[in-house]
Amino acid sequence: MIKKILIANRGEIAVRVINACREMSVPTVAVYSTADRKSLHVQMADEAICIGDPPPLESYLNIDKIIAVAKQTGADAIHPGYGFLAENSDFSARCEREGLVFIGPNSKALRLVGDKVASRETMTKAKIPIIPGMMTKRAEMKEFKEAAESIGYPVMIKASAGGGGKGMRIIYSPKELEKGIEAGMREAKSAFGDESVYLEKYIEEPRHVEFQVLADNFGNVVHLFERECSIQRRHQKIVEETPSCAIDDELRKKMGEVAKKVIKISGYNNAGTVEFLLDKNKKFYFLEVNARIQVEHPITELVTGVDLVKQQIKIASGEKLKLKQEEIKQRGHAIECRIYAEDPENNFFPCAGKILFMKEPAGPGVRHDCGIYSGFDVPVYYDPILSKVITWAETREDARGRMIMALSDYIILGIKTTIGFLSSVMGHPEFAAGNTQTNFIEKNMSDWGDKKKGRKFLNEALLAAAVSSQMKTSEKRAVVKEKAPSPWLTVGKWSIGGN
Amino acid sequence: MDLQFNIDQETHRIEVDFRDGKYLVRLEDGQYEVDSQPISENCLSLLVNEKAYTVFIVEEEGKKYISIQGEQFCVEEAKAETGARSIAESATLKGTPTIAAPMPGKIVKILVGEEDKVEKGQGLVIVEAMKMENEIRSPSAGIVEKINFKEGDLVDAAEPIIELKPEEKE
Repeated sequence: MIKKILIANRGEIAVRVINACREMSVPTVAVYSTADRKSLHVQMADEAICIGDPPPLESYLNIDKIIAVAKQTGADAIHPGYGFLAENSDFSARCEREGLVFIGPNSKALRLVGDKVASRETMTKAKIPIIPGMMTKRAEMKEFKEAAESIGYPVMIKASAGGGGKGMRIIYSPKELEKGIEAGMREAKSAFGDESVYLEKYIEEPRHVEFQVLADNFGNVVHLFERECSIQRRHQKIVEETPSCAIDDELRKKMGEVAKKVIKISGYNNAGTVEFLLDKNKKFYFLEVNARIQVEHPITELVTGVDLVKQQIKIASGEKLKLKQEEIKQRGHAIECRIYAEDPENNFFPCAGKILFMKEPAGPGVRHDCGIYSGFDVPVYYDPILSKVITWAETREDARGRMIMALSDYIILGIKTTIGFLSSVMGHPEFAAGNTQTNFIEKNMSDWGDKKKGRKFLNEALLAAAVSSQMKTSEKRAVVKEKAPSPWLTVGKWSIGGN
Repeated sequence: MDLQFNIDQETHRIEVDFRDGKYLVRLEDGQYEVDSQPISENCLSLLVNEKAYTVFIVEEEGKKYISIQGEQFCVEEAKAETGARSIAESATLKGTPTIAAPMPGKIVKILVGEEDKVEKGQGLVIVEAMKMENEIRSPSAGIVEKINFKEGDLVDAAEPIIELKPEEKE
């Protein structure tokens, strides 16, 4: 068994991993940048070591420093979370060389699935259905233009090394192509340190359906069913749910088997996610393997009852998978809403700043995975995810109602967040009807900012503001008028418990 | 007591009286009887004509941040007549709208040059913040008068990146 785990991440996912370790009585080491001294993961871990300045390249992406901290603290394993070094095969190879356990796939499989161009080739050979696209890795603008013509517009620009929507652009006509590729390359370079991008056919009105898999070091592979993650802004998911309304048991079984096949032919181990696009005619295409624990992993945990982070740690420790495919069942329905420090009225522009007050949602079937607290200053340097609200209930409709309630009870004051926007998504008739294609937000939510002008509780807010101003004034007056004596002084002679 | 509050650039006038343990509040559309009990430092229980509301409220730099039934409001007490104008407002008055990032970030690309004519909604500059690129668009048609930064520079929120001269009215 692993003895001590270093968590090479920050925010809610670092807290999630630390909590799994605490449940398993495995000591933890947090690493942090100078901007994160007061972050929650630093407070939660058993040890915390500062690894550098705020820019990620100087701290959370600094491989030498992180390896040195692991050695110095006696950690024998590293959990990379998601983002940062999670899908960096150089990092996982370095851990292997240094005798540290990387809690994730082996570096060879990581290199294969991480290189989207190479993995497309492998999948084509194995007859896994893929989206038509460009196979070359580095290209001149002329080649991009030719490839786009032969695939046919609209095309999608994607970062070869990436995920999470970074570097991604939809291009509808040849005149947007050059600008889009330049921007995609810059974003890819800054997010992943690798500027290579490729093109593929853009499937219109698709759904994004992915399968969670677990694979141990002995070739045993199970899938834990699907997640539908169609609701996205900037090609980055903000709402996920399971089961998907779009697939039936027959298709579910077929896609699950393909997902396991993808994992097997990639020589992949540990937790991973096989992403598919599902078109209007229920035809599915392999997109990529996300070689990490995903942001949306909790919904799978709630419907299957399996703790994926603990499974990751057990698999990395060399344990055999005890889960059997036929024993894994989906029970009920789970939805996740991601809470970002962003302004939905201003094109989801990130909004750093101080959280002046916060109250967490709670109740039966409500889970809150969180990296913030009242008084926390959200730094500008990192992805603006703050937390996730996950609800579970017997049916989709119950889980949706529970989510609307939880979001309404979730108070974050002082910075802008996606809470109100997500609440409107949950309440939208098209969401209620299960019509969740990846263009859901453009199609249904574009007038959200205007709708907000007709807010329901404007009068009550004014009343509250007026009353609070008045209360403050009268408090001040009261203090000046009489320094009220304590009841202990005015009550006269007293004693406790005497007769 | 007379109060003026701004929400989303709209001013609301309010009168408040305190009588028999309750607040009588007159808004533009009528009078309300409010029973208010503080629950904690940041929480009020309001009964407005016997309807129950739990309100979360926090004050910072003269602004009240209020959450009520899942809706959020930023309420500013309006200072009568005088009062400092914001940078953007005074710039607008001068006739030169300034283009600024809503939060600190890095300028990755400037899409226009000085003296360029721009359309309303045209992309002017790409700023990277929190790992995402964001295009800042022109709020109006005009001519780029001055560019205060170069690509690769770091900017603070509200720092004018580009100054625009509005199009001459013909």
